[in-house]
Amino acid sequence: MTTLLINGKEHQVDAEDDMPLLWAIRDLAGYTGTKFGCGIGFCGACSILLDGVLTRSCSTPVGAAKDKAITTIEGLATEKGLHPAQQAWVEQDVPQCGYCQSGQIIAAAALLKENPHPSDEEIRAKMVNLCRCGTYQQIFSAVKRAAEIQGEQS
Amino acid sequence: MSTILNLSLSRRQFLGLSAAAGASVFLLGVALPTGCAKIEQAEQDQDLNAFIGIDADGHVIFQNPFIEMGQGTYTSIPAIMAEELDVEMPSITVVQAPHGPDYKIMFDNTIRFTGGSLSVRSSYMTMRKAGATARAMLIQAAAEQWGVKPGDCTTEPGSVVHAATGKKLGYGQLAEKAAKLAPPKDVPLKDSASFRLIGQPVKRTDSLAKSTGAAEFGIDVKVDGMLHAAVMQSPVFGGKVASYDKDAVLKLPGVVAVEEIPNGVAVIADHFWHAKKALEKLPLTFDEGTNAGFSTQDYKVRLQAALSEPGHVAEEVGDAAKAIASAAKTIEAEYHAPFIAHVTMEPMNCTALVTKDHCTVWAPNQGVDFVVGVAAEITGLKPEAIEVVTPFLGGGFGRRFVMDYAIQAITLAKKHPGKPIKVIWTREEDIQHDHYRPMSAAKFSAGFDKAGNPVALQITSVGEGPMTRLMPGFVKNPDLDTSVFEGTVELPYAIQNKRTNVVNVPVKPVQIGFWRSVGHSQNCFFKESFIDEMAHAAGADPFEFRLKLLGEQPRFKKVLETAANLAGWKGKPWTDPQGLKRAMGVALHESFNSIVAEVAEVSLNQDGEFKVERVWCAVDCGFAVNPAIVKRQIEGGVCYGLSAAMGEQITLEKGRVVQGNFDTYPILRPDQMPVVEVEIINSGAPLGGIGEPGTPPIAPAVCNALFLLSGQRVRSLPLSQYSF
Repeated sequence: MTTLLINGKEHQVDAEDDMPLLWAIRDLAGYTGTKFGCGIGFCGACSILLDGVLTRSCSTPVGAAKDKAITTIEGLATEKGLHPAQQAWVEQDVPQCGYCQSGQIIAAAALLKENPHPSDEEIRAKMVNLCRCGTYQQIFSAVKRAAEIQGEQS
Repeated sequence: MSTILNLSLSRRQFLGLSAAAGASVFLLGVALPTGCAKIEQAEQDQDLNAFIGIDADGHVIFQNPFIEMGQGTYTSIPAIMAEELDVEMPSITVVQAPHGPDYKIMFDNTIRFTGGSLSVRSSYMTMRKAGATARAMLIQAAAEQWGVKPGDCTTEPGSVVHAATGKKLGYGQLAEKAAKLAPPKDVPLKDSASFRLIGQPVKRTDSLAKSTGAAEFGIDVKVDGMLHAAVMQSPVFGGKVASYDKDAVLKLPGVVAVEEIPNGVAVIADHFWHAKKALEKLPLTFDEGTNAGFSTQDYKVRLQAALSEPGHVAEEVGDAAKAIASAAKTIEAEYHAPFIAHVTMEPMNCTALVTKDHCTVWAPNQGVDFVVGVAAEITGLKPEAIEVVTPFLGGGFGRRFVMDYAIQAITLAKKHPGKPIKVIWTREEDIQHDHYRPMSAAKFSAGFDKAGNPVALQITSVGEGPMTRLMPGFVKNPDLDTSVFEGTVELPYAIQNKRTNVVNVPVKPVQIGFWRSVGHSQNCFFKESFIDEMAHAAGADPFEFRLKLLGEQPRFKKVLETAANLAGWKGKPWTDPQGLKRAMGVALHESFNSIVAEVAEVSLNQDGEFKVERVWCAVDCGFAVNPAIVKRQIEGGVCYGLSAAMGEQITLEKGRVVQGNFDTYPILRPDQMPVVEVEIINSGAPLGGIGEPGTPPIAPAVCNALFLLSGQRVRSLPLSQYSF
């Protein structure tokens, strides 16, 4: 058994070390907010934070996640409420089909932690996950709004 | 009889929901023939359409006949109902209506699906009547309780009020009584001047769930005791499994079984990773069958040959051939479009559980009854014994009309009775076993008089239409499948002599399907690019040239002018202060009864790299029921069409799809997304669709700008084949 620390909770999972973290999170720990999109680390639908670092879980083996804190979309909100990125996403009705949005929001959270006031260029450079519905423009705008919300709350 | 409550599956589902909620939900059995002339017949048939349930707390449960795949039906459809019922949106929970005749509300109550940009426009009156009738029943219930006339009562959101006495009762307090009343006929609908939801940018009902990870997609379904399956389908279409050695993998960790599916093999395991890993190790060979020689190169040659055949006449006005023969000037061009894939972000998946007398299917789908159809066929069960759960779809775009993935899950579940089995396709399976937008071609000839006015346009459109393949009932004449040539007929441009010929070139080995905007997606590229060629041949500004040909078409004219004004139209390329060359291209197209014009501003640097910088869109869909969603759908449509134009292409060699994942089938990246601005024109014309019409014009708008920038006319997509 392997212990995975997901969203602050320890999960005992029966996973081989080479199992992609994505499938351990989804099928073994039951957090299905993190999505399977390509399996080759290309689209970003599987984005999580690993010790706070933006990581594509479909191409990260379980073995690399031991003793590290995993944050999925389900763990982004705190007792204070939704993460500023989630608030901005809801406020601006960003999602269409919504499938990629967990990964997008995780990517936004990572960006805002590193850079609380990203410029338009920085947002475009950092928000690289794929979306098929064409919500990119709304994602860029919601990251700006999330930065404002984060600023107001801090 | 319209007085009874609906006691079919829909009723049971309501009861199930109410039990889960710990409260009673009262279903308002509302008889709602979609066509007014059919009232009598509908009553005889007990043709009840039950959409609305209300619990004792006044909470509304709305059974939506349309699925949500991003296009906003879980917001716009209930909002139309809520306008008339008089409730606030937050008091509504939207669930997917069960299968069966109650919810076949399209095409004279014969069918139900989500596609063709039809949801809002096909159900607008049905949903208004549903809300209005339910409201009238609630008023009636209150009036009886108070001993007053219903006509003296009115409503405010969620309550019936009697102004004279100040009495007020919530819908929840009235629902049980109201549900026992006979639904009244011909309830008057609201005056549109008093709309407070219809026509407003009502907020989406699914944003919170989709921003917290709580939204459940098909791939997320969890059922007790569920097993997971990975599949390998024949790499050649039509191929069959020749041999496999299940013993080689049965002892691998987690593996439960290895089973055949119609065109391949599935490994079933305790979780998906174990299934996939074992499948990769499974010794497996296919009998590739007769299609192993197919290549897109060869098919292109067949399409090109067909361009010279007479084919069938789809449209004829005047005598185009004669007018071209005597024209002062003629031009001719040949256009090509590749196979392209849907690539929904959520790969194909389905979960099924089959027992002796019941089957449950959790299927992302664009037609609940289609799932029931395949489940009934595979299990031999009657539709009443089949339940379909439709979660959110992680994109549809026309892909989830075809039930191949559901067939696999049900087939496997039947072999393992009592065990829920979830099938998930890898991205490679998804891209290599799609039902593609067909590869196609067209030839255009135009003639001009001495003054440069166009006098004739002749088009030959060649390929195979997905409609014949997938929904043959909708094809009136097999020679003229509109999904081949739509967009090349009924043009708004006043050209005296016009002919469109169609040559059907079957592409049997390849699976084809409905790709967002179907035939319009390629035909608009062909047609609006050639119209641009005609403008340049006539020495005219491409915008002015189109405008001049729209003399008798005020709606088209307004749309084109609106987009051009929004863009600040420039008919000539220019160099910006940073030294970057820029140009605008325009395209105008009607599809799904909506008219869209798009102006694209494209830049080209000295290394020959271009970027689509901005896109201005004008749309006339008659009336925007939810302008916020309309704008986002046009924006999304631009992204989808631009993605295809930039780099999407499926090719086949030796019967196999060459591309496999996002590294070889690139979809539009965020840094490639232009700034998109949308203006809506509420013309008052009959409602048009909105999910698809934004897609067709973007490819020609961009290519027309690229012509101004480079002098190179793009006559074949994708753009990644070109250097500028």
